[in-house]
Amino acid sequence: MNKEMDEITLERRAIARGEYPRFRLMARIEHMLLLTSFTILCLTGLPQKFPFSPLSQGLIALLGGIETVRLIHRWAAVVLILGSVYHLLTSSYRLFVRHERMRMLPDIKDAYDLRDTVTYNLGLQDTPPKMRKFNFGEKFEYWAVVWGTGVMIITGFILWNPINAARLIPGSFIPAALEAHGWEAVLAAASIVIWHLYNVLVKHRNKSMFTGMLGQHIMEEEHALELERLERGNPAYPVVPPEALRRRQRVFFAVAAVVAVLSLAFVIWLFTFESTAITTLPEATRNVFVPLATPLP
Amino acid sequence: MRRQKQTRQRPIAVLLVLALAGLLALADAGRLRAEAPAAPAALAVPGAVAPAALSPRVLPLPQAQPTAHPPTDAGCRSCHGDTEATVVFPSGETLVVDVDLAAFDASVHGASAENPIGCNGCHPPATYQFPHPPVAEPDLRAYALSRSESCVRCHEPHTTAHPGPEWSGGFDPAASASGMSVVCTDCHGEHQVQPAAAWQQPAATAVCAACHTAAGINLTDPTQLSLHIQFGLFSHRQVTTDFCMGCHGPPGKSMVFPNGDEVSISIDGNALHASVHGLGNDWQELACTDCHQNYNYPHPPVEAASAREYTIEKTELCGRCHETQHEGQMDSVHAEALAEGNLDAATCVDCHTAHNTPVPDQPRSRIPQMCRQCHSTIFDDYAVSVHGQALLNDENPDVPTCIECHGVHNINDPTTALFRNRSPELCASCHANQEMMTHYDISVDVFETYVDDFHGTTVTLFQSNDPNTPTNKAVCYDCHGVHAILAPDDPEAGIKENLLVTCQQCHPDATANFPDAWTGHHRPSLRDNPLMFLVNIFYAIVIPSTVAFLGFLVATDIYRKARGR
Repeated sequence: MNKEMDEITLERRAIARGEYPRFRLMARIEHMLLLTSFTILCLTGLPQKFPFSPLSQGLIALLGGIETVRLIHRWAAVVLILGSVYHLLTSSYRLFVRHERMRMLPDIKDAYDLRDTVTYNLGLQDTPPKMRKFNFGEKFEYWAVVWGTGVMIITGFILWNPINAARLIPGSFIPAALEAHGWEAVLAAASIVIWHLYNVLVKHRNKSMFTGMLGQHIMEEEHALELERLERGNPAYPVVPPEALRRRQRVFFAVAAVVAVLSLAFVIWLFTFESTAITTLPEATRNVFVPLATPLP
Repeated sequence: MRRQKQTRQRPIAVLLVLALAGLLALADAGRLRAEAPAAPAALAVPGAVAPAALSPRVLPLPQAQPTAHPPTDAGCRSCHGDTEATVVFPSGETLVVDVDLAAFDASVHGASAENPIGCNGCHPPATYQFPHPPVAEPDLRAYALSRSESCVRCHEPHTTAHPGPEWSGGFDPAASASGMSVVCTDCHGEHQVQPAAAWQQPAATAVCAACHTAAGINLTDPTQLSLHIQFGLFSHRQVTTDFCMGCHGPPGKSMVFPNGDEVSISIDGNALHASVHGLGNDWQELACTDCHQNYNYPHPPVEAASAREYTIEKTELCGRCHETQHEGQMDSVHAEALAEGNLDAATCVDCHTAHNTPVPDQPRSRIPQMCRQCHSTIFDDYAVSVHGQALLNDENPDVPTCIECHGVHNINDPTTALFRNRSPELCASCHANQEMMTHYDISVDVFETYVDDFHGTTVTLFQSNDPNTPTNKAVCYDCHGVHAILAPDDPEAGIKENLLVTCQQCHPDATANFPDAWTGHHRPSLRDNPLMFLVNIFYAIVIPSTVAFLGFLVATDIYRKARGR
């Protein structure tokens, strides 16, 4: 009770300072997991997609050769998978325990916001659209990540375990998975560089993923409706009665523990699932000096 | 073969005439002197009395009397100019002791010569006392040998192709022991030795011919023999090829190395002329001595203990002209094996042969046949391959022989990681060649589709970054075979028929679906690998449109900011 109240108090004080709550700790942890694994996956994966560019070759050499690069890639993939599991668990917690709305779901307003943003940028209308906590661009990014991660995990699993994958799916899916994995990476990397890095580094220096708070100026520009909502004194997140919270938490943590353990088991299993190929070529000895009994003329 | 002693062919008639003359000399020496035109007057010493007095045809051998006075020429001539006496050797052979004094006086050693030597020059007084001690030699031949030994007291033995005793210069212990030796007197005669100039007349070959005919040993043709005698035997000039061929031309000659190796030293002259070093040589026809340097006659003893050692020693000689090739060879696995003590390792002549060296790649099928000499089982594999069949049956000009993959002289070790990592490029050097592959209806995509594939990408990365590190990723020959490469659609053992088995070599757990993961070297299309094709199409649309969409949004935003809003 006190804790919740304290948080609300802190929130109000921050808002009074012009610092608006944007991301809670669990979201920031998720982002760090994603940022780390995604970067490593790109650095170790894209050179495999374009292995013959000098940049790739230099990077591969720098990281200790292609076999090491692949190992790093797989460890980073594990981090990404665990990060995804963590996201599913925290999202479920927000949905089922805290009964928060699913504000990431796109709706028709996002289409209008997109339209209005473009027309405003082009000078065809005078006022920018007022957007909610998650605007159309962020929703696009979020769902792109969901899609991309899904594609990468599935195709990555196939590539990691082609022998066992081929027991379930046609063999021809494997090279197709390789193509999808590579091109999806290109798509993701391109989107992040063009869109995300522009928005958070170039357009503004947005530090909210590290501090959890966003300044008034950016709030006005990108989340005017959320700003207004907070200014009206609404809590950033719905307050849940403590009894209900504890009741739901009990159930949730039990399920979450099972899911977490299963996920961990899945990852361990992933690493040890199959030995795709022999690691060293068998020694083959052949006596090559077998002179003809009768020399040719 | 026991060579018969060369008998002095003095006509019996002459002996009889001289014997008769000796007898008649008792009655009228002056008259007989006129009747013996061969005997110069100055030397006609009336010393024939004693032998004539000792008339028995066979003298009992006199006892040694060391205290007697040394004989003088006159003393010798008094008996030996006119006698029918003979010496009987323990072997039973006999020797007429009569000397043609006239012929002796006309010889280079005779009275008319610049430096005349008397009888004692060769028959030393220490042993030739009178009465003569019994002959020490057991037979006629031994006697001739002993007398010839006295020649070398004054004459340096000259080069000769004949085997002879140690001092004669043509020493060959085996030939000498078997009696096949030729000594000075065999050619020069005993008492009628001719000046060196006489031997430079072509007619001198008659002497050779007479002996060889009698002995049944073939001579080379007379023109060569004349050269042989004029420029070989009697000069210390560098020997010529013809000189060498005088001995090495006839077949059936061999030499034995200390370890017992017996090698033919007969050279097929026609083959030598037809070889790359022969008449057709761009530079000039090579002489024997270009490779067998510093060979005069008699040959210096061979130092090599075995025929193989000799061959290896001679390898250096090829490098004098063929420097690049020799240096390459020195970097090869063969040279490496040799350095490690493997004497079987191939050197120049093992592949190129020593004397009848052919153009090595004409026809190209010669190349694998050459390697086959030592690598017969690998040849057998190659011979059934698509490449081997095309080469051996059709002399196909495009298929690789051994050297296209393994190199010519600097043959690399094919078992290294380096060779393995580079091997796909090796195959690609032909299989990515559009012009060449068109003839055979083979796709040139094979290399690029391989490189685009997981295996090929990895191997190529290894090849460029880490070429000496072994990789377990498949290279061309892991699937297609090393030497016994068959057509992929070969109905019995082709890779298409056996793809799963092929995959299982490296992927032991692979099941029936798994081989479909391989793109079969086909670029994705609706026909081949359609799923890959569709995935590619999907991203070919999604990526540009996403980039364009996001780029557009960013551009509008930049536009807004630029306007200061």
